[in-house]
Amino acid sequence: MIRLEGVGVHLPQFALREINFVVPARGHGLIIGPTGSGKTTLLEMIAGHLPLASGRIFLRGHDVAGIAPEARRVGIVYQHYHLFPHYTVRENIWYGLTGPGRGRPVGPAHARIADLADRLGIGHLLDRTVTGLSGGEQQRIALARALAPAPDILLLDEPFSAVDPTTRRAVRAVLQSIHEQEPITILQVTHDFEDALRWGDVVAILHEGTVAQAGRPDDVFRYPNSPEVARFVGTGNLLAGVIQRREAADPEMALTFPALFRVGRLVLELVADREGPAHIILRPEDLVVGRAPHLGSARNRFGATIVRRETVGPITYLHVDAGEPLTAAITTTTADEMQYRTGEVVQLAIKATAIHII
Amino acid sequence: MQRIGWLRIGMAMVSALLVLFIAGPVLRLLVYAAPTELQAALADPELRAAIALTLFTATAATLIGLTLGLPLAYALARTPFRGRHVVTALLDLPIVLPHPVAGLALLLFLGRQTAVGRVLAFWGIEVVNHIPGIIAAMLFVSVPLIVHAARDAFRAVDPQLERVARSLGDNGWQAFRRITLPLAGRGVLTGAVMAWARSVSEFGAIVILTYNPKVASVYLYDRFTLSGLPAAIPAAAILLLVSLAVLGVVRFVRPREPA
Repeated sequence: MIRLEGVGVHLPQFALREINFVVPARGHGLIIGPTGSGKTTLLEMIAGHLPLASGRIFLRGHDVAGIAPEARRVGIVYQHYHLFPHYTVRENIWYGLTGPGRGRPVGPAHARIADLADRLGIGHLLDRTVTGLSGGEQQRIALARALAPAPDILLLDEPFSAVDPTTRRAVRAVLQSIHEQEPITILQVTHDFEDALRWGDVVAILHEGTVAQAGRPDDVFRYPNSPEVARFVGTGNLLAGVIQRREAADPEMALTFPALFRVGRLVLELVADREGPAHIILRPEDLVVGRAPHLGSARNRFGATIVRRETVGPITYLHVDAGEPLTAAITTTTADEMQYRTGEVVQLAIKATAIHII
Repeated sequence: MQRIGWLRIGMAMVSALLVLFIAGPVLRLLVYAAPTELQAALADPELRAAIALTLFTATAATLIGLTLGLPLAYALARTPFRGRHVVTALLDLPIVLPHPVAGLALLLFLGRQTAVGRVLAFWGIEVVNHIPGIIAAMLFVSVPLIVHAARDAFRAVDPQLERVARSLGDNGWQAFRRITLPLAGRGVLTGAVMAWARSVSEFGAIVILTYNPKVASVYLYDRFTLSGLPAAIPAAAILLLVSLAVLGVVRFVRPREPA
């Protein structure tokens, strides 16, 4: 278990303050933030390489203040791997297993190196020097080296940012299988939301030096708690407008009420819990697109002009002008069958209950 | 086109003049000294003793310089402590100071009449006109070369390599010994060899602090002033050969310059 309580650091380039985050034992936590937001520094503080300015760090339930890095039993993999250039691949992996010594590792050390090399597909590289290896190979060696002493806490610093998508998927799968088999708690920092969506048990979004939102990845991505988080995670269509109550408050249903959200000439019906200026999110996949007006129960139906089509594999995004710029997501199959074209006017619909108010 | 051709020829001639200016005296000295004279000079017990003393004291000064200089170099490379720039500037001082001035300053600091001199004498270490004086003079003028070279070499090693090593179970010393020192080794070794060579060639500071026993440079100066040029030349040629050997070692350990 990793618990950060009010962690802060002040460096000339940036400051982190009041970082609170918990990764449960054997869980996989992600801290997502833009480049240069202090993510690597945070990991180095957890590993004991940098002093804390404020707050406390708990590993396995114990406050690790004053405990040297080598006594924290924390593996770390940096973004640029940092393999030891004066050792062979085998010696790099051997390093944390009381090696490298003379000759070759024997006994448990040999077995551990062979097992990790086999699982990570680097057995054929063991006797090579680390210069001239590809990014993917270096990444796998760095991972094997960190995992060799069987740490129960593993810190990953943007581990997949410098490799191609195929390698990324392959190494991710291997790490996932190792994570399932060995009792490891992983904390990963990244700017890649895909990692969080596919992997994370808990995720924290860093914004302006602190945790803007933390929780289960699906919750954070679906229900961002601020426009900043919504913009950062790219949840969907973020609109700033004003909420107006439509009916008098029902004393039985005092918490929520039917309301209108106005932004420019676009007026949407929704269920609100407050009035006044607000942001709303329309998720692209919640917007229904058709040539004829929608016949279902959706309260909001309006026309829009297709400005641009963008196909990303099986999903096609229709960027439209509905008075406000919006994006709707449909399957590429549907887009092709319906032959939507730029400049065409289409009908959009969205349920009042699908609109998320921030 | 023709203008560029003349420019090249002019530059080549100027460069050749400079090379000749350095190579000329060296070759002249080697040619001037007849092999028989060289053999005779080598048989001179005083010269042999001077060369042996020079090699011993230069080695001692270099080892002390490494012992004292590496921690400072590491701190300068890794720790942004207050006063770092002042320390760096102080380290440059022995390089720019005229060496007799360094000798006088050391005399005033380490002489028997001074507090430091008295403490050293209490521990049985006589400096002035003793071998420790030679080592002190050599150390003073050569240690900046070790510190500067080692600092640059340590700086070139990514500190995150050490952090990885520590996360793999090394303590600070083990990470330094197993990661940083081997990776900075070539730079440190270059600095040490340069410092050793600087110590071997030192004259100005030594002659003030410890005239006797004589190191090779003082011995040579002695021969020249007492017996004239012909008596000094064979010894000078032998010292030149020693210096050329040192240069060969420096070229061997120094990282290759791009072609």
